[in-house]
Amino acid sequence: MTHSLHREGTKESLERDYCLFIYPARGFNYRDSGPNIKRMVELLYLTGPANMIAHTLRRNMYSGVRPEEVLESIKDGTRVYSVFNSRAKIKEALLQLKKADEGISVMVSGLVDRLREMTAELGIDPHMVNLSLGIHGRTDLLPPPDIRQFTTMCGHGVVSPALVRDVIGKIKRQQITSWEGSLILAEPCACGIYNPYRSRELLDALAPLYTVNRW
Amino acid sequence: MIITQSLCVGCGRCHPYCPAGAIGYQDLKSFVDQDACYECGTCLRVAACPVNALVEPDSVYEYPRAVRKFFSDPTSTHAVTGISGRGTEESKTNDVTRRCREDEVGVAIETGRPTVGMGLRDIEKITRALAASGIHKIEPHNPIHSLIKNEVTGDLQPELIGERVLSAIIELQIKRERLPHLLQVIKEVANEVDSVFCLDVFMTVEAGLTIPPTVLAMIDAAGLSWRPNAKINMGLGRAWEESDT
Repeated sequence: MTHSLHREGTKESLERDYCLFIYPARGFNYRDSGPNIKRMVELLYLTGPANMIAHTLRRNMYSGVRPEEVLESIKDGTRVYSVFNSRAKIKEALLQLKKADEGISVMVSGLVDRLREMTAELGIDPHMVNLSLGIHGRTDLLPPPDIRQFTTMCGHGVVSPALVRDVIGKIKRQQITSWEGSLILAEPCACGIYNPYRSRELLDALAPLYTVNRW
Repeated sequence: MIITQSLCVGCGRCHPYCPAGAIGYQDLKSFVDQDACYECGTCLRVAACPVNALVEPDSVYEYPRAVRKFFSDPTSTHAVTGISGRGTEESKTNDVTRRCREDEVGVAIETGRPTVGMGLRDIEKITRALAASGIHKIEPHNPIHSLIKNEVTGDLQPELIGERVLSAIIELQIKRERLPHLLQVIKEVANEVDSVFCLDVFMTVEAGLTIPPTVLAMIDAAGLSWRPNAKINMGLGRAWEESDT
């Protein structure tokens, strides 16, 4: 999950892309944390995440997994990864988690200026920031930036650039819709923070510009 | 990962799923380039081979190849290191653990990210450069720590040098005044590796999510810049276990 700060795209697009993580700390608040985490996840469900995974199940919201299965899987130490596709929703999620005061660490990745505004309005006093200083080394080996907007939505890098290209090709050939293509791209991401709503917007914008054999 | 040649029908469905681009055609059937494969298991998890030709052989879990699996498959647990996930703590629970203090800064070098992957030979170039500059203390709970043979030189276990991983994260913690030196070392070694890495710097913030201006000035002076998006620890955690647990 270290990588969520490196999500690429325009500021306009990142306005609709906020990751939220719940992390218990072994040796500090891990023991007996299961019920607290479960209550936090219930609150997240009520605020409408674009995607979510509990690490105990590793099945994203579009896999057919039911909320009760996710909640049932939560035990002491379960880590939860989610993504929201609007400022209003992430703000509501933070408000609910603050009010619930379950004592488990909460991380949010997104535009710093927006999160600064939001936390000030909610009376939350953030503790730490993790800044991205970009990509270094043989950057000539990277896929182009428009493809990285998709691939960097998966922190572990298992959404392949070739799969993005394949999905764009299928959309152009009208074999699938951009939403179906987004769900295909979300599937490899085992951490559940691939945002299919943002992905759909990006595919809608990109597909007309691509020729099937580009890159 | 291997593809059972007697079963493969050559449909190519699995090819685009491979982040390493390791799956191609050989004699009309799909074939995995074993050197390029990171053993991330993505093809097996999601490509839905119509004839179940994708197979993860037992050798994937044998050392040293197992390093590929444990560093590249997000669903695996580190049998080599005993740590789950990529094993980094960075800023995730610092509001509870206070691991990185106010006069310190954390740095994470995310080797191989995004998506390109990195050979252990290149990772060793980085660990050696850090060691040569006097930075020997790679986070001990970080999985990559177990791959280091000699902390003083930064040498990795020699049998690992031929392996490749999709990502491995080198995590460090230093006093803030040493950040300019560390950034310079990282910039120099970036010219020596045959792959990419992402660079993270994490620190406690001042009231109102104010990023310490002194640290930003150091980053700026190093000729680096920061992205407008970042990861924020919201400060909502608290400890309830005894400190000796």
